Amino acid sequence: MLFRIDPQATRPLFEQLADQVRAAAVRGEVAPGERLPTARDLAASLDVNVHTVLRAYQDLRDEGLVELRRGRGAVLTDQAGRDFRALHLALQAVVVETRRLGMHPETTASLLREALADDGAPRTDPTPQEMP
Amino acid sequence: MTRTRPPHRLANALWTLAAPLALTGAAAALLLSWRDRLPDPVAVHWGPDGVDRLGTLTELWVLPVAVFVPAFALGMWALGHFVGQSALTRRLAAAVAVWCGVYMPAVALATAAVQLDLDDASRAGDIGGLVALALVPATALAVVAGWLTPGDAPQPASAPVPAGAARVPLGAHERASWVRSTSQAGTWALAAVTFASVAVLGWATRSWLPTLAFTALLGLVVLVFTQWLVTVDHRGLTVTGRLGWPRQHVPLEEVEAATVRDVNPMREFGGWGLRTRVQDGATGVVLRRGSGIEVQRTGGRRFVVTVDDAETGAALLNTLASRSR
Repeated sequence: MLFRIDPQATRPLFEQLADQVRAAAVRGEVAPGERLPTARDLAASLDVNVHTVLRAYQDLRDEGLVELRRGRGAVLTDQAGRDFRALHLALQAVVVETRRLGMHPETTASLLREALADDGAPRTDPTPQEMP
Repeated sequence: MTRTRPPHRLANALWTLAAPLALTGAAAALLLSWRDRLPDPVAVHWGPDGVDRLGTLTELWVLPVAVFVPAFALGMWALGHFVGQSALTRRLAAAVAVWCGVYMPAVALATAAVQLDLDDASRAGDIGGLVALALVPATALAVVAGWLTPGDAPQPASAPVPAGAARVPLGAHERASWVRSTSQAGTWALAAVTFASVAVLGWATRSWLPTLAFTALLGLVVLVFTQWLVTVDHRGLTVTGRLGWPRQHVPLEEVEAATVRDVNPMREFGGWGLRTRVQDGATGVVLRRGSGIEVQRTGGRRFVVTVDDAETGAALLNTLASRSR
């Protein structure tokens, strides 16, 4: 998979790294059982501290997305193989609607962040709808 | 395309021709000096129940030593001389030629050694142990030959990466690394067939020691050569075997351009694994049919690796290479 980090970005490097693995799982670019490079190898490859990668891997382990095996690096769990199709469709709908309304991507992104920051209880009552 | 003249032709001739021929000559001389101490006829072939065929001393050494080794050495010399632009090709040629130049004469010598001072060649002891033992010096010297073969001098590219080559959009400060594992097609079938044939051979010949030695050697080969890790990052393209070895590396500054190609290992490279393409000296880790990254490297070298999502790997390599210029 492709790892990319931006040392100039405000988001900490270990979070950027963990985000990449999460996104790769959602996009279906990594499958359960697949092995990520060892922390040492990935750190050398990206020219970052090995603890940065370890921190990212530990966060991913705490979420249950990877399993850490001594000396064998991180292995993707079954969580990486969940069905993300509905999420893809929903995201696509958000993109289409944002463009249709001519909204700034940042506006939608911050709305999305706000909505996700809510602890699950929707403030405005969404009208219950049957999925077609 | 103009073909670049391979470097280190003298070293190539030394390892692929001079070394095996000198070893073979020495072995032949030793063998001939034993002539008076050997029975006539000599045993030339062993079966499950000991010696099963007698022949002349000439028969014992002419075909394996005087014909096979020089022919093989010549082939390896040609490989290094004409298409040895990449160090891998020259190292493999040297290692294979030396292996052959040690193993074949060693087996001929072992065959004769067990018959020294015998009146009746059919009473000669078993040679299975010696045939297996000969693998040790042959492999050790082959490794040394590969090791001592001079590598490639650094040859930084001077031209920019072509504008038309695929790129990955990367921010000015962004760092990227692409990692992907790639496996030999049909690994398990391959391993099963190999071990089954060795087992059958062992059963048929009843020589267990050589069978065991060959099994260990093949097991190691299967372990090392069936799974590889491909990495593209600020250092360039790196392909490593399961145990971190063998390692094939194309430094970023020697990348002229990377493209994605449909690779046919059998047709292009004559097989699978770590190989040299005889037509143009391209080297590669080719494990299956299908998409692969082909890197055009300085010094008229090319490197091919078969891997999934080769598009991303090639594009990132172009991006990082052009950023480093």
